[in-house]
Amino acid sequence: MFKFALKNILFYRGRSIATFILTFISSVLLILFISMQDGSHNSMLKNSLKIYTGAIEIYHKGYRDIGGNEYLIQDTKSIMEKLAKIDAIEAFSSRYETYGLLSNGEHSAASMVAGVSPNKEMVLSSLHLALKEGKFLDENSGNSIYMGSELAKKLKLHVGDEVAFVGGASDNSFAADIFRVCGIFKTGLFEFDSSVSFLSRSYFDELMYAKNRASYINIKLKNLDDLDRVNSEIVRIINDKNLESLTWKTLMDTMVEAMEVDNIFGYISLSLFLVVIFFVIMIYDFINISSRIKEFGVLRCVGLSKKNIFALLFYEIFILSSLAVVIAAPIATCICYYYSINPIVINGIAEMYRDYGVVSDEIPFSFSIPTILWNLSIIYLLNFLSILYPYFYINSFKPIEATRHV
Amino acid sequence: MIKLQNVNKYFYRGEPREVHALCDISLTIEAGEFTLLSGPSGCGKTTLLNAIGALDGIDSGEIYLDETEIGSLDEDARTTLRLNELGFVFQAYNLVPVLSVEENIGFVMRLRGFSDEEIRRRVLEVAALLEIDNKLKSLPNTLSGGQQQRVAVARAVAAKPKIILADEPTANLDSNNSQILMNMMRELNEREGISILFASHDELIMHSVRRVITLNDGILINDHKL
Repeated sequence: MFKFALKNILFYRGRSIATFILTFISSVLLILFISMQDGSHNSMLKNSLKIYTGAIEIYHKGYRDIGGNEYLIQDTKSIMEKLAKIDAIEAFSSRYETYGLLSNGEHSAASMVAGVSPNKEMVLSSLHLALKEGKFLDENSGNSIYMGSELAKKLKLHVGDEVAFVGGASDNSFAADIFRVCGIFKTGLFEFDSSVSFLSRSYFDELMYAKNRASYINIKLKNLDDLDRVNSEIVRIINDKNLESLTWKTLMDTMVEAMEVDNIFGYISLSLFLVVIFFVIMIYDFINISSRIKEFGVLRCVGLSKKNIFALLFYEIFILSSLAVVIAAPIATCICYYYSINPIVINGIAEMYRDYGVVSDEIPFSFSIPTILWNLSIIYLLNFLSILYPYFYINSFKPIEATRHV
Repeated sequence: MIKLQNVNKYFYRGEPREVHALCDISLTIEAGEFTLLSGPSGCGKTTLLNAIGALDGIDSGEIYLDETEIGSLDEDARTTLRLNELGFVFQAYNLVPVLSVEENIGFVMRLRGFSDEEIRRRVLEVAALLEIDNKLKSLPNTLSGGQQQRVAVARAVAAKPKIILADEPTANLDSNNSQILMNMMRELNEREGISILFASHDELIMHSVRRVITLNDGILINDHKL
């Protein structure tokens, strides 16, 4: 039957070439579609984790939901000592975040002011890389403030300008000071750039009376794939029921939701795409097989069984699909690989999607062999499914009826 | 060898346009016979041939091929029966277009699991008998009608079936090619001992066969040996 199928493929060249092209194009498009979707999600995630949010963050329970000084971590040092024992952690640091009013005399704006350890932040986040003008903080920055570009614009501030701060200290007393703008950053995340500013913790702790206290501890992992395992280990080692260790999936639930929604729409588009592919292939197969009803009738008359007919159709589609997939796979893989290294640039896309963590006009493709393999499996499956209806259709004819079919 | 007992076949049964295509047909065809089913168009020749060939069912009666009652067989068993016991020659040749003459002739043998050597030997033998041994590598669409019908006969004969059922085998041939084909089929019948049952109203076939069974409106009206 295999040899017979091969002869059919070679004899009906036009039909074979069309089926081959359909399968080839479908395979390439599907792989590129999935690669692009996965790539943009990975990019959103990486960007967000890189800029500020940690892979894992440890909070006092209630801080995220209720907030306030009652829910600060009180003994940061002992937790950090425990974290130092976990190999899978690349870096960690405590942050103290508070909210206050910034004013330059004429303009005022509310801001989240965070005390960070500049040297550690250079490993943990890419805040220092988002520098637009001036300079990043250092351990001896004193009253220097590192400010988001949109916030600086709102307050009409430039590097070297002074800004007054009024807020609440960790003991619920008033805290007030004059800061000097040392640097202005731009991450591309609009909300972040328009509401956040940073000070060096050594100075900030004095102002806020926050020694050994922190809003949370930010953790960066050596390998993000170890997320859940390391998080479980952190929970076990810290062993404090008043604390909670949360992964980025919880911390960035808005982004995760956005990605899930995007995934749903992506899969709906994908389903439509696959349905279209399926019907195009099936209708084409149906037309081709229908044009051979007489031939199948003769074969049935002379003794070919229904199983033989199915085997014949199966081998025909198997040979054509395999050929198309074998050629499509390396081409699509190369394209994915190339664009995973050299992302496509669409000017303005970051502006449109900045709220979703897109900080670059680049759209990198994801390069994953397992993903490519399951994409190809789907194309195979669709091809095989596409012969079922034509097969049942031709078997609905009695052999002798089929021989008279025109 | 083939025995029909009170075979009845209807088309559009229960509808106003009902046709009683075969009316109580009973007959016996012995091994090695060279027989014609004759009669005007629409008399039931092809219907009877299809019933004997396990290609179409009947409404009542029994058809035996040796000890096997064809009517009681399911679709798979009928397919196996057609493959192992019967050969078919159609009016429109119905060769497999993608296979060469050699492959067409050996097609049924290959399905039946004969070895490559057996197939090759038998194909050469039959092709020589039918004088198409110089066309073995050709595709069917490069042959004349007469040659294609000879390939169809060779395909039917090659696997040595018990009976060959030939439906209007000369209808698409000119008189010269028809005569050649009939001579060859008669020779095959005599040399190989294969029964051949024709359904035709061709006078040429009528003069070639040894028995003529005549139908009219589905009724067997005459059965005589020549």
